[in-house]
Amino acid sequence: MSLRLNLKKKPDVPVEADSICPDKMEGLSLKDISALPLHHGNEQITVGDLFSITGKVNGEICLEGDTSRFKMVGASMSKGRLLIKGSIGQHVGVAMSGGEIIVGKNADNWVGPEMSGGRITVKGNAGHMVGCAYRGGQVGVTGGEIIIHGNAGNEAGNTMRDGLIAVGGSCGDFTGINMLAGTIIVLGEMGWRTGAAMKRGTIISMQDTEMLPTFTYACSYRPDFLRLYLRHLRKLGLPIEDAWISGCYHRWSGDSIELNRGEVLILDR
Amino acid sequence: MMRVAEKAKSEGNIKIVEDATCTFCGCLCDDMVLTVDVDAKKITKAKNACVLGKALFLNYEEEDRPFALIGGKEATTAEAVEEAAQILANARFPIIYGMSDTTCETQRKAVGLMDMLGGTIDSTTSVCHGPTGMALQGVGESTATLGEIKNRADLVIYWGGNPAESLPRHFARYAVTAKGMYTPNRKKDRTIVNIDVRHTKSVPVADIFIQVKPGADFELLWALRALVKNRHVDPNIEKKTGVSMKTMKDLVERMKNCRYGVLFFGMGLTMTRGRHFNSAAILSLGSDLNEYTHFIATPMRGHGNVTGADTVVAWQTGYPFGVNFSRGYPKFNPGEFTATDMFVRGDADAGLILASDPGSNFTQAAVDHMKKIPMIVLDPKYTHTAKLARVAFTTAHYGINVPGTAYRSDGVPIELRTCLDSKYPSDEEVITAIYRRVEQLLIAKKRSKGANNKRQKAA
Ligand code: SF4
Repeated sequence: MSLRLNLKKKPDVPVEADSICPDKMEGLSLKDISALPLHHGNEQITVGDLFSITGKVNGEICLEGDTSRFKMVGASMSKGRLLIKGSIGQHVGVAMSGGEIIVGKNADNWVGPEMSGGRITVKGNAGHMVGCAYRGGQVGVTGGEIIIHGNAGNEAGNTMRDGLIAVGGSCGDFTGINMLAGTIIVLGEMGWRTGAAMKRGTIISMQDTEMLPTFTYACSYRPDFLRLYLRHLRKLGLPIEDAWISGCYHRWSGDSIELNRGEVLILDR
Repeated sequence: MMRVAEKAKSEGNIKIVEDATCTFCGCLCDDMVLTVDVDAKKITKAKNACVLGKALFLNYEEEDRPFALIGGKEATTAEAVEEAAQILANARFPIIYGMSDTTCETQRKAVGLMDMLGGTIDSTTSVCHGPTGMALQGVGESTATLGEIKNRADLVIYWGGNPAESLPRHFARYAVTAKGMYTPNRKKDRTIVNIDVRHTKSVPVADIFIQVKPGADFELLWALRALVKNRHVDPNIEKKTGVSMKTMKDLVERMKNCRYGVLFFGMGLTMTRGRHFNSAAILSLGSDLNEYTHFIATPMRGHGNVTGADTVVAWQTGYPFGVNFSRGYPKFNPGEFTATDMFVRGDADAGLILASDPGSNFTQAAVDHMKKIPMIVLDPKYTHTAKLARVAFTTAHYGINVPGTAYRSDGVPIELRTCLDSKYPSDEEVITAIYRRVEQLLIAKKRSKGANNKRQKAA
């Protein structure tokens, strides 16, 4: 049985809950966990003030109740599992380097910003800035996987350096902006200006999308590496069609304003 | 506090105030000559002011309103200070918003108040040129003062702005018909380009007007950047933007070959789809052009002292707007700590609106939340926001009754001269009084919490 944190009452204002993380609870008694700090607006409270705590500490935490106001859950996580039954607030899995976070419903903006390893799965929709760098940052995600089953907002993968972001639904504008490397796969529709200022990296779309004027059509082919990715995503529960695995893709090179070594692959339907 | 202007001549009840500053827009024209009828408490003439400046000065009238309202009932300033301090000291996620129409001295005090409270501070920047502030962090900027532009620029491009109506003296004082050191023949020495989605009143002064399709500014900027760098541009761009490749190439040649070029941009770029990336694109275009000539890109700011708000918040906290102190140190995150987002999400549990009227221009969802929480408003006028506030202070006008400092849109500080006294306190006086009272309340709260803890431990 994992450690269960059951929310007693939804907080009035946002709570910064970076202490809700397997690393920080490892080796602690339930009493010690109850005394871990949370930041309820400008006031410091404890985990025990908002949650009833049961179960045992075995590296898996189960968060129950309406946690949509809790920010920074799983911050700097390096191991273990965090199961969030409902929706979660902003910055879930910020700077995460290992382990797994599963969000049962929706996640607010900034899912897994600047993460370097591990996996975040969101069963519902995610807000803007999935797997991004913070404002002014030069490098975003450097590793790990973010799997969104629903839709994602703008700027998914902004300044991403490595790793995988997969979106089962649609994406907003500027997917993969300033991308340095890594892979973004979108099964639904893309918004405007995909891949703007990307240096390297791969963005894959299963739907037709309008390219910026600084991208050039290169060729159409069947990329081998993509089969591995798509089979992997199918195993993770995304609805991958057989035709996509064996399909032919149009390759666009860009962004010519930068190095022109990035690619956008669009399924030939 | 109500110091009268130093540079004033009086004759009977008539006073002439020279070099006064108009605070209506970001041009902050500091060459106003005001004729004041001291007995009637009216400004009768405002020499050098444009139509907007004249409206500000000549319509000035000290309204006879209560010093403060608490829950709609008349109160003294001291009573309102007490009520405001109680609201703020008991809040967990308070926010101060506005600050674009007050002095830098007040803005500084407001930052101190939020720092002490562990709240959030945001200015009207977040709904005008905030995207430019965000873009700056990513791509930097090539910039200059308006004085340098006046003296040197021979290619002036206005993009997504309508200064003829929003900054009326921008053309005459700085960029089109102004006589500069290296532009002695005024407009004859300059080429003026206007790029916009519609034919505004600013278009007639331009030598070249380029009409871009709505929502395609980013694509046009991106194509221009590529052409400047001699990179490939897809011919489809003509259909997307409505601008021919010939026009783009001609503009690029002009930009590369001018002696000193400037890109002025407005909210047509920063508040349309793409926002901070539109700003980043135009700032980057300005920087790219420095491979060939001297080029700058600079925003046209609207409110009188909105640039001051950015400047003061930045030198106090390291960030220009959308700053939160709840963890005891400043954190910057537009989208999380910007007023409209905080109100729409229902995060803020108290608000202090300083010299601004979000009640009239925020989204309905934001206004609905503002109605649910205790709000405090400081404003010379009885604004929409004041009407929904728990505590509303009437304060004196900055730049007319209150001296201080304001920053012009290019970041140059200008001293404000006053011309009339006011019976109402300044924003700074009210914020200082609230600060002092909140400080006392927080100390008392800490003490009682400490005593409670001790009692619990002993028990
Ligand atoms: S341009 Fe702006 S600052 Fe100058 S007089 Fe007109 S309104 Fe006032």
